[in-house]
Amino acid sequence: MSALFELRDVTMRFGGLTALNRFSMQVEAGSIHALIGPNGAGKSTVFNCVSRFCMPQRGEIFFDSRPLLAEPAHRIVQLGIARTFQNIEQLHRMTVLETVLVGLTSRTPRYFSFAPGATRARAERRAVEEAEEILSQTALIGFRDTLAGELDFGRQKLLDLARALASRPRLLLLDEPAAGLRNREISFVDSILVNLARERGITIVLVEHVMQLVMSVADRVTVLSFGEKLAEGAPSAIRADSKVVEAYLGSEAAHA
Amino acid sequence: MYGAPPPKQLAALGLLVLAGFVLPHALPDYFLYIGNLLMMYAVLALGLDILLGWTGQFAFAHIAFYGFGIYATALLNMRLGIPFVLGMPIAAAVAALIGLLIALPATRLRTVYLALATYAFAECAQWVFRTWDSVTRGPDGLRMSAPQIFGYMVGNDRDAMPVIAIILAVMLGATLYLVRSRLGRAFCAVRDSEHVAAASGIDVKRTKVLAFTISAFYAGVAGGVYTLFQSFVHPDGLGVWTLVLVLTMIVVGGSGTIGGVLLGVLLLGVLPEALRAAPRGLLVWQEFAYGLILILAIMFMPRGLWGLVIYRLRRKARRGPPPQAVPVPALEREP
Repeated sequence: MSALFELRDVTMRFGGLTALNRFSMQVEAGSIHALIGPNGAGKSTVFNCVSRFCMPQRGEIFFDSRPLLAEPAHRIVQLGIARTFQNIEQLHRMTVLETVLVGLTSRTPRYFSFAPGATRARAERRAVEEAEEILSQTALIGFRDTLAGELDFGRQKLLDLARALASRPRLLLLDEPAAGLRNREISFVDSILVNLARERGITIVLVEHVMQLVMSVADRVTVLSFGEKLAEGAPSAIRADSKVVEAYLGSEAAHA
Repeated sequence: MYGAPPPKQLAALGLLVLAGFVLPHALPDYFLYIGNLLMMYAVLALGLDILLGWTGQFAFAHIAFYGFGIYATALLNMRLGIPFVLGMPIAAAVAALIGLLIALPATRLRTVYLALATYAFAECAQWVFRTWDSVTRGPDGLRMSAPQIFGYMVGNDRDAMPVIAIILAVMLGATLYLVRSRLGRAFCAVRDSEHVAAASGIDVKRTKVLAFTISAFYAGVAGGVYTLFQSFVHPDGLGVWTLVLVLTMIVVGGSGTIGGVLLGVLLLGVLPEALRAAPRGLLVWQEFAYGLILILAIMFMPRGLWGLVIYRLRRKARRGPPPQAVPVPALEREP
């Protein structure tokens, strides 16, 4: 199998701070690839470069052999890449259903906004049907008309995932989906991720500190430290890697 | 929001038009004037709220587009003999075009910088209205001739009311559809989080430019409406005072909600008329009072009166059966 997604030699500096230093990684199609490392290692910066929120000084990013850095931010999702956010960035004054409808934007046809019409009626009906289906799959349908800002923390994370899934991505970038969740919720996230990857063939890049989740779902793990790649390999190999244990995991987690 | 406006709301638009035709035969002139004024403010406020309440852009050039709509509609009629039914759409379209041109640089700015830049533009526009004597008659003000609509002369509030009611119904209907559209949701998404919006495939810059353009179009239409029931326009009426009035309507009523904006227009549009009975000395404090109301509303009622009403209704609904807790299901793990 070839790489669906690739970062090649990416360097991203913010003023004097080098967030990523000639960082490269390849993600196989259909795999769950975890990106781990201490806080400030540059994990979220990888996602923000892909989302086109920041422009690397050097290097290239490819999706399906297509250079991404030439694309504007709103085109990324049309190419098949969706992402979630680490600090819950919610559409807090929109309802749960509306949030998923926003996620469906790239797949909802344009129509004249100011008047009734057949195209509009069809587009809206289909979008709402699909949004409700996604909400059923993510167990959020009972909160259909709740404001996103009024959901509990766990469900806000779930809604962020539902919004991202609405675009039917081929590649899903998840920024700490399990942070702050309870054990029971973590195992729910675990089952969702495995289901997405194995059943629907979605390639997943997962930034996560919850090692229990990473070790259980990841096919491959890349370890970042101070913007550079420290190690890469299968979860079992990473757990045994003395450099990783020293820089990030600590000896206790190594036995977890 | 999504889908189409509920039939009740569309029926209300029909009632509005009906009232526009019936009331002129039932009410004295003074009330008709107030009615026309409120309907004009409604168009103006709905337009500003598209930018402010729905898209979350603190831009204050609105008053300039409104002034432009007034002068353009009036002058097209007086100088070139272009009738209102053509002149007003042309004026509104040109206001929208200027809005678009302003938006291109303005969307690079945020928050207080955007507010200052657009406010500066509004001040410049007022200066133009005041000093371009040969066109606007400058500080003398412009006496406008009565517009004609299909040969029907609109000479007073009685004649104007049905026309204004139709215009408001059209603009209100368009707004009801807009906020329930893909574009309307894009506005809200940009307001709540530009990152989430962009990551969901929304072109943030294009969405902001559209909000500016549409908002300026509403202001242009409101300016056209002004020429229907007023016979005189003065640059002094196109400054910060009118801007604060419209802002107060939106904030007190409830920004980002159509019901709230209409409520705010009703309350704050009627207030100065009610205050006319007050002793002369107090009127000096009117502008001060509006500023104070605006600040208090922002501090203590961030969702406006409409937000309070909705909150009460929801609490009432909650007092019924308690909401069902939805358990988080455990999906089957694949082997």
